[in-house]
Amino acid sequence: MVKWKRIGMDLTFPNVPKYTKDFINDMGQPLNIKIYEPSDDISPQGFLGLGNEFLEHIDNNYNSGFTLHVRRRDKIREPIRVEYIMNDENPTVVDKNIIKVDEDSEVTVIIDYKTISDTKAFHNGITKVYAKENSIVNIIKIQRMNESSFNFDSNVAIVEGRGKVNWISVELGSSISGANYTTFLDGEASEGYLSSIYFGDGNRKMDISYSMIHRGPRSISNIDTKGVLMNEARKVFRGNLDFKKGARRAKGNEEEYVILLDPKVKSDSIPGLFCEEDDVEGNHAASAGQLDKNKLFYLMSRGLSERDAKKLIVEASFRPIIDSIPSDELREEINLEVERRFANV
Amino acid sequence: MSKKLLSIRNLKVNIEDKEILKGLDLNIGHGEIHIIMGPNGGGKSTLAYTLMGHPRYEITDGEIKFEDQLINDLSADKKAKKGIFLSFQYPEEIPGVTVEEFLRTAKSSITGEQQRIIPFRKLLKEKMELLEMKEEYANRYLNLGFSGGEKKKNEILQMSILEPKLAILDETDSGLDVDAIRIVAEGVKRLHNENNSVLVITHYHKLLDYLEPDFVHILLDGKIVKTGGIELAKEIDKKGYENIRQEFANK
Repeated sequence: MVKWKRIGMDLTFPNVPKYTKDFINDMGQPLNIKIYEPSDDISPQGFLGLGNEFLEHIDNNYNSGFTLHVRRRDKIREPIRVEYIMNDENPTVVDKNIIKVDEDSEVTVIIDYKTISDTKAFHNGITKVYAKENSIVNIIKIQRMNESSFNFDSNVAIVEGRGKVNWISVELGSSISGANYTTFLDGEASEGYLSSIYFGDGNRKMDISYSMIHRGPRSISNIDTKGVLMNEARKVFRGNLDFKKGARRAKGNEEEYVILLDPKVKSDSIPGLFCEEDDVEGNHAASAGQLDKNKLFYLMSRGLSERDAKKLIVEASFRPIIDSIPSDELREEINLEVERRFANV
Repeated sequence: MSKKLLSIRNLKVNIEDKEILKGLDLNIGHGEIHIIMGPNGGGKSTLAYTLMGHPRYEITDGEIKFEDQLINDLSADKKAKKGIFLSFQYPEEIPGVTVEEFLRTAKSSITGEQQRIIPFRKLLKEKMELLEMKEEYANRYLNLGFSGGEKKKNEILQMSILEPKLAILDETDSGLDVDAIRIVAEGVKRLHNENNSVLVITHYHKLLDYLEPDFVHILLDGKIVKTGGIELAKEIDKKGYENIRQEFANK
């Protein structure tokens, strides 16, 4: 049993049985890439993910995962779809995913965690991205596990010169969910972007932490988060912009905007700005608030019920991020999921 | 003999415990155009917001009847469904929702019939052409980055799509140039017929050059103090509100 301080609870890791489902969706997968068993490799120094206990648990117990190696100058147009589906027979996913993208190449990977039964599922995983010089890596992570499940997800990227990593994170499910994204912008003019949405309803507890660690000169980062909390959901958001020695003229931005739909929700936002260099630019903005009463009135004056007006504003705030997911089917499913959660407003 | 569309009797309204409307009476029949004029701070916008049902405006006395039904406590969406429309003085910006999607949702809500995409798009295009609005506005986020004039036109577009029985225009003419006022006035005229009525709230006279009001009311210090025809508006235009203010101060 570990004490998980961040959310103030004790947690016992379950035994990890085999995971027997296929998780690489081979419909339309490109043939010119190779996908292997996950390999052991070292974690970057200073990377903690959700915490050592979580990382060790993965290293000792992983039951699924892959290594994807994209060769130099290979631009893969179709997104690669990975689905970790949990049900009564396969309630536990401990995955280790390694994505290596060589110089001048490009790839998009969609990783989807979902339950298809009421079983209490458990996910603890890590995704590591190595983006070499001048590469573009798009990683889309979707978490939509059922309301009794636990989700723990650690993500890390190391970005070399002029490389670019775009994270998109969609957090819709689980009773307890921890998500960490750490991006090391090591190379000169490397770029890291993170766009995320989260939806907290019921009694969900969420621990969200994002770090952009600037080491390369002129590196650029941006964090753009839109959230909604309703019922008695709780959320802690930590967004760190960390400018290390050598990150001259680096720029980082972060913004979190959360809409609180009920008085009993709890929302903490803790932006952090750390500088070892003078010549950097870091901005952060966070706002949390009830829906603007005048906006609500405006929409209702056009015939929308209060519920529909709220839904419209929430969907509108999510839309740019949902629309950037490169799959019609997934976008539709996510929209339906958001809609479903509004059924009991 | 004409049945009243809207009848307001002794309406008193507070905002945060301050009384703004102090016993206002007003009747609007089917197919009539009414103008309410008055100096700033007299309660014009309060009347508009109260009629539409803004929760911040508290009705402490009196009654508002629409088609003989008491609507004092109805929420804005229910009033909209009954056929009341407010063109806002300061329309809200809603990023992430396009004009077309929004209006299709609104029209579906008000009519209770899901609007199909293709026919609705055609309707929208027609109405936009009449208002001399560029087609691209349909795909822009609602009011986001619109100029003052574009926002007002967009309000009139919404009105022409939703086809209310009573359109309340709150300072729709302010901030518009001559051409835009003409276009807006034509939009209002197209809506106006023997059943649909219009209530124009203004402290200018600009729209009056284009619309032929049946009644002109002066709203001063929370009450309608004088009612007349177009000549009253012309008098105000010449002499301002001071005469009327004195007239009522003396009473």
